Amino acid sequence: MFLELKNITKTFGKTVANDNISFGLNKGEILALIGENGAGKSTISKILYGLNKPDSGEIFLDGKKLKIHSVLDAIDHGIGMVQQHFMLFESYTVAENIVYGKEPKKNGFFDRKRAAEIVRELGDEYGLHIDPDLKVEDCSVGMRQRIEILKVLYQNADIIIFDEPTAVLVPQEIEELLKTIKDLAKRGKSIIIITHKLQEVMDVADRTVVLRQGKFVGERLISETDIKELSYLMVGRGIPPREVEKKEPGKLVLDVEDLRYKHEGVSILNGLSINVHEGEIVGIAGVSGNGQTELIQCLTGLLKPDSGKVELCGEDISGKSVREIRDLGCAHIPEDRYEFGCARKADLEETSIMGYEHLPEFSSKGLLNEKHNQEFALNLLDKYSVKYDHMGEPAGALSGGNIQKLIVAREIEHNSKFLIAAEPTRGVDIGAQEFIHDRLMDKRNRGDGVLLISSELSEVMSLSDRIYVIYDGQIRGEFTRAEADTNKVGFLMMGGQNGQD
Amino acid sequence: MNMLAVILNSTIRSTTPILLAALGSAICSQVGVFNIALEGQILIGCFVSIVANYFTGNVYLAVLCGMLGGAAVASIVAILQVKYKAADMVIGTSVNLLTSGLTSVLLSTIFGVRGSFSSPELISLPKIKLPVISEIPVVSRLFEQLTFIDYLSYIIAILMFVYLYKTVSGFHTQSVGKNIEAADSLGIKTLRTQIIAVLVSGALCGLGGSVLSMGQVTLFTEDMSAGRGYMAMASASMGQAHPLFVIASSLFFGICQSAGVLLQNYVPSQLTQAIPYAATVIALSIFGWRAIRKKNA
Ligand SMILES: Nc1ncnc2c1ncn2[C@@H]1O[C@H](COP(=O)(O)OP(=O)(O)OP(=O)(O)O)[C@@H](O)[C@H]1O
Ligand SMILES: [Mg+2]
Repeated sequence: MFLELKNITKTFGKTVANDNISFGLNKGEILALIGENGAGKSTISKILYGLNKPDSGEIFLDGKKLKIHSVLDAIDHGIGMVQQHFMLFESYTVAENIVYGKEPKKNGFFDRKRAAEIVRELGDEYGLHIDPDLKVEDCSVGMRQRIEILKVLYQNADIIIFDEPTAVLVPQEIEELLKTIKDLAKRGKSIIIITHKLQEVMDVADRTVVLRQGKFVGERLISETDIKELSYLMVGRGIPPREVEKKEPGKLVLDVEDLRYKHEGVSILNGLSINVHEGEIVGIAGVSGNGQTELIQCLTGLLKPDSGKVELCGEDISGKSVREIRDLGCAHIPEDRYEFGCARKADLEETSIMGYEHLPEFSSKGLLNEKHNQEFALNLLDKYSVKYDHMGEPAGALSGGNIQKLIVAREIEHNSKFLIAAEPTRGVDIGAQEFIHDRLMDKRNRGDGVLLISSELSEVMSLSDRIYVIYDGQIRGEFTRAEADTNKVGFLMMGGQNGQD
Repeated sequence: MNMLAVILNSTIRSTTPILLAALGSAICSQVGVFNIALEGQILIGCFVSIVANYFTGNVYLAVLCGMLGGAAVASIVAILQVKYKAADMVIGTSVNLLTSGLTSVLLSTIFGVRGSFSSPELISLPKIKLPVISEIPVVSRLFEQLTFIDYLSYIIAILMFVYLYKTVSGFHTQSVGKNIEAADSLGIKTLRTQIIAVLVSGALCGLGGSVLSMGQVTLFTEDMSAGRGYMAMASASMGQAHPLFVIASSLFFGICQSAGVLLQNYVPSQLTQAIPYAATVIALSIFGWRAIRKKNA
């Protein structure tokens, strides 16, 4: 074994995030670390990268015991990490971000020209091309990830840890990333990848280690296992196929006609029309960046469309504020959980009622009903099995998947007529994915309308009663559950025109 | 013509303390610290300089003591606000009130006077006579009565620019204000960087205080900083914390001050004295508004 972790234990308050975990990594190997939300995957990788200090346990590299007290120690030993949440400086250029900490100098001054050259050379060497003079704030998510990878490569890492690198990428970017990862392994880099998508594990990894509730529960060679076994190991139970209850759609809840939106001269929504009825899940399939984000923001009042009609439960919402629209009955699971879904520093009780705190259920005469709210929050956390330490904990301390579960819980459990669910299972484990899907189904069966927007085609296909395909800010096709098939939908998603395949 | 040179000269002289404090404010905001105690740091600089001047009779030593005094007050901000994360508004305001009270009390205990102190034993900062330029008629008026600190403040601004934008260390310093979490995760000692920046702002304000109490006049008056700390904050924010832009924005405040003094002969002084402060409010509103618009675009 090239790298070995022995008996690592780490606790946060009462939570045992890592419980006596041991595993190893070979040179040039791709190891997938899998497990449910809060299983301790991020924690153990942060320990390896010097961001967390273990309570006990040892790490060996090439047979020598390592002392990792800080990130700098880890980098010195050739360990690099692409974190779940990117660590970039928005207003710095790509090159400045990549050379950070090991800057090229000329006469004692920062040599920015050389930095740009280095980034170009590095990009050519690994086939990761990016304009070094671009500001990070102008980079897409996929590009940001490329920057993080180049940063790690520039630091000369032999061991690279990827924490849920695909959670935020669109399918083409995922494919590219997996290719890059395989390529890096071929060049002798050792890779640890954390992901919730078992298909990716099967595609890219050589071996997988499974964690559950902080404990090591097993490891498998990929050549000797399959998705079913892995999901069984992760969750500790089999997952039955979904059964869909028949339901006749009722009245119209959302009616959008000819929605148009331009940003800085670029048309983003080009006459988009959709509708959602009571008791119906309507899915929007499409590659990210085809106007989904702007559509959601127009519906929720975050953006003002240039023209077009949006009616919610029969009322025109143009010119209404976000709060008015929410109060009309529009719940919203946002795409980006940290930007719109929660405040990192707010505690769990606050997070549970955020956006609804003004309703009589949660406050009266401007004062919060502390007792009721606490019970309400406890109930949510419990029902959605969110793993947490205590109620006063800030939302930012929860693991990525757990905070997502809490936001989903808040928005679904609020009995609104209409729910926008954008990437509702982003970053949650397969057990919790099932659970969230079931809750969305329940909502539909209660007679509410759900608009589901997801870049995960399988999610859209399995839940939706009706599917729209979005491309370039327009609806390119509409299918009922019976008509939809992956090939037809996929073809339209990639910009194919109906009737010409 | 001569008149214009006089106005410009008075502008330069009133700019210096504001520029120095604004540079201090800029370095704090570059590392993400909102330092409101500039006013107190300037005032202590004025006072300590005069005390040191009186007892040592050495004006350069007095300047040094003024800077140390400013840094000492800044260390309160560094410890409570940066290290222990106390609220910036509370710390800044209390420090400003504290120094105002403290200097009044010390004024009466040390010198036994109230309101203001001046003495023939005090030595003022020597005025620099430029070799060739002082021979040219109108231009010489422009550079009249300037001390080495007036020139030094522009050199400091340029050095600060070179440090922040051209060196690796300055690059790291700036990164702390841009994303402290990321800087931390890349092994930068962020807390130390912030503390040093605050201390530097203290020293700069202290230097500004010395020129205020030993430059044009040689005396100490209670609250003689007269809101320059707040003007400096406005100036730094107008100059987007960029040292070279801060020179320009500080000159603007300098003009407003000298205009206020000049117009005193024609307009009631209560009105003219308000000019710099009105300019502060207007400048901040315009820049705040533009920043908001840029954000929403
Ligand atoms: N800084 C922290 N403070 C308190 N508790 C923490 C902290 N970091 C992690 N935890 C807790 O430790 C446990 C493991 O968290 P970790 O982030 O390692 O999970 P994970 O396996 O990465 O989950 P996910 O798939 O949701 O990202 C969780 O219960 C989490 O709440
Ligand atoms: Mg994680």
